[in-house]
Amino acid sequence: MGTRAGRVALCVAIAIVAAGCSGGSSGQSAGSGGHLIIGTTSNIDTLNPFVTFQQNSYAAFEYIYPQLVQYNDDVSNFVPDFASSWKTSSDGLTWTFDTAPNATWSDGQPLTAKDAAFTFNTILKYGNGPAGNLIGGLANVTKVQAPDDNTLVVTYKVPAANVLPELQGISILPQHVWAQYATGDGKGLRTFPNEPENGQPLVSGGPFELAQYKKDEVAIFQRNPDFYGPKPSIDGFGLQYFSSDDAMVSALRSGQIQSAINIPPTAMNTLKGDSSLTVYDGPGMQFRDFIINSSPYKTQNLELQDPRVRMAMEYAIDRNSIVQTAWLGYAKPGSTILPPATGIWHDPNIQPLPYDINKANAILDAAGYKRGPDGTRIANGHPMDYTVLFAKDESGAGDTAFQIIQNGFKQIGINITQRKEDNDAVNTAILGDNNTYNTFDLAMWDWYPCCPVPDFILSVVLCSQYGSWSDTGFCDKQYDKMYETQGVTRNQDARVKIVYAMQKLLYDARPYIVLSNDDQLNAWSTGWDGFVESSLGLFNNLSKASLTQVHQA
Amino acid sequence: MHRAEYVAKRIVFAVMTVFVAITINFLLFRALPGSAVTNFARAPHASPELRATLTHEFGLDQPAWKQYVLYLNQLVFHANMGISFADNQPVTSELAGRLKNTIGMVFVGTFLSIVIGIITGFLSAWRRGGAVDHVSTSSAIVFYALPTQFIGMMLIFLFASVLPTAGMRNDVNAFFSGGGTWSNLKDIGLHMILPALTLALTLFGEYTLVVRSAMLETLGEDYVLTARAKGLPQRRIVVSHALRNAMLPIATLVALSLGFIVAGAILVEIVFSWPGIGQAVYEAVATRDYPMLQGAFLVLTLSVVFFNFIADLVYFKLDPRITE
Repeated sequence: MGTRAGRVALCVAIAIVAAGCSGGSSGQSAGSGGHLIIGTTSNIDTLNPFVTFQQNSYAAFEYIYPQLVQYNDDVSNFVPDFASSWKTSSDGLTWTFDTAPNATWSDGQPLTAKDAAFTFNTILKYGNGPAGNLIGGLANVTKVQAPDDNTLVVTYKVPAANVLPELQGISILPQHVWAQYATGDGKGLRTFPNEPENGQPLVSGGPFELAQYKKDEVAIFQRNPDFYGPKPSIDGFGLQYFSSDDAMVSALRSGQIQSAINIPPTAMNTLKGDSSLTVYDGPGMQFRDFIINSSPYKTQNLELQDPRVRMAMEYAIDRNSIVQTAWLGYAKPGSTILPPATGIWHDPNIQPLPYDINKANAILDAAGYKRGPDGTRIANGHPMDYTVLFAKDESGAGDTAFQIIQNGFKQIGINITQRKEDNDAVNTAILGDNNTYNTFDLAMWDWYPCCPVPDFILSVVLCSQYGSWSDTGFCDKQYDKMYETQGVTRNQDARVKIVYAMQKLLYDARPYIVLSNDDQLNAWSTGWDGFVESSLGLFNNLSKASLTQVHQA
Repeated sequence: MHRAEYVAKRIVFAVMTVFVAITINFLLFRALPGSAVTNFARAPHASPELRATLTHEFGLDQPAWKQYVLYLNQLVFHANMGISFADNQPVTSELAGRLKNTIGMVFVGTFLSIVIGIITGFLSAWRRGGAVDHVSTSSAIVFYALPTQFIGMMLIFLFASVLPTAGMRNDVNAFFSGGGTWSNLKDIGLHMILPALTLALTLFGEYTLVVRSAMLETLGEDYVLTARAKGLPQRRIVVSHALRNAMLPIATLVALSLGFIVAGAILVEIVFSWPGIGQAVYEAVATRDYPMLQGAFLVLTLSVVFFNFIADLVYFKLDPRITE
């Protein structure tokens, strides 16, 4: 048996070699607009909107499902998507959307406001269970109705300020597909795979239909001729998953793929030198932070609650060195938890403290933290030695950043050691006993504020987020009150003022020292043009513009 | 000891090993600090309710022993490995697809390595001390020592412009440009070259060295001297007498490494984004997808135990002294 199997294998091997070595594809196809492949190192974990947690899944939904509104190209305002216009009642409690008339799903079924009402009501109904990952988008919504096929009425219990950004994030699902799962305990909502079946594309209502999906391999989108909005120029595109970013960069350079997102900073200089590629380097949404435990339940190393120690720590962090050495220049020094990529919400008046070891030492000296025999300062009778919980997510550039911080702290008499663990283990260590955040001292992690709106990222430090999103133990009643107020302040200028004040409060209290803001790094072949770049990259869930506008150069 | 008794003993031993491995697999991931729910609840808009829902849905609110009994019951009596935490889909069907992808590529790679290893090892022993021996032994040692991912990355840098470097086939081009079975097969073959070659380069050194030393040992045996004294031609002495007797350690090595090929391809699959079981393990570790990890580790365990069992049987066949 062994011999026969061997012969078969040999034949296969020979056939492979005999098949010859051909170069990468050019991305040309039979249709007029051509197709392109986008490389990514982040997969689409699932196409079920009730299950997914990956950014690329949401970006896929943007292109295959209708949303009521979308962002404009510079992400400063909202423009129509499935809703062609909208108005608010004078009390701000009722929002009425006029939806696209005569729209159809890709299987020919009518696509109406009733699909939107079904989707929203399903999320409301199962928000405490299977629809838990979507319910945040409908906070304060009491009722959703579709009085006719082209009108959707959403009623709120408070005059919410963030209606459009929240509704923009919710994809409208085909009622005729999903209704059968929105019954009983709703478990079916989470077990339905929602994948193309029997060679038929997924029932889609966006500019593209999802034609094929293989987890951790590829998702293929083809033009949806029935789309209610502007039709794409291209025949379609594929999103190809790479488990190694070096391999993705090689594939881009050799023409196997035509564009790539999430490019590592280490590859940028090479790509910039390649004349066949266009390279984009813009502000990104993600930021890296140094966490100082702010929990009132903390029992040890209480000197870390001292504002002077926190200020000295910030003086001892060399942000420029972190940006240049760890991120090779492809990041910006950070200041507040709303990065500049969030547009009007970022407070530019908050400037991070400069790197100044002398100043840091002077602050600690004045505060009475004397140095011990080995140079380490003494606080409350013990040396200032701390462990930094370090999430695996930060490996690589974050390790270098840690070393830079460690070196700075050493010069001010504070020793830190790194405890690198996987994300879940770090999270558990941060939560402490009964979610009281009573044990950890310091940590390093990052945040991805999801979208260019302040609501989510400002919420992670609310008292109510203990045991959930909080990774600092920070709890401040005044801050919580401000959060509540900004949520119902419909005048944008007034709201911006409150959001600025919240950033200032947080910056001064320093549960986070924001180290750096990542750049958004993308590249594509010069044979293609028209991508709409954003802080979330050229394939994002902000609008349908990027891949409907892209075309062959 | 009778043949039947020997085989029965080996089977009992294999079953016991699998059972112990299943139990350890179950305990291992749960012994880690942290929770599987955190990862899946760490996304914008996730509510505290979601955490509770997920904990309940994943069955993690049950006591560990109950989870274990449930898992064992489903596994043994229903061949059900559970539902993946990541996409809520059955692990068994996901792993079956992955295993198929892995086996094709790993088989070609391992087969190449065995062929190269036996040929170079054989030549080295036959021409001991000569140039052929030096070249093949030192290249075997170098490739044996190099990390898999390094060889893989070097091949990518060298061949990216002429060979596909990621995935199993170019689905996107095939979808938009069409193509028949032959072009699909050719595409898979082309995609397989670099990962299979990486695997072959990583593994062949071991074979070269083992074959060489086994051959040298048999070439020094009295019966080879006798064969020479009888005036047999050199080719016949080497092939019929030396190589044949050197097959015992070689067969063992082949059987043992076949057991590890499924697990051993993890790095190759990561470097070349090959959608096999190794990549699934990598993703599952990163997301704490317990059912997927348990399932994948079970498949890896089964493959090692199965091929060890085969090795035992081959031994038995090749060397009758074993049962004595």
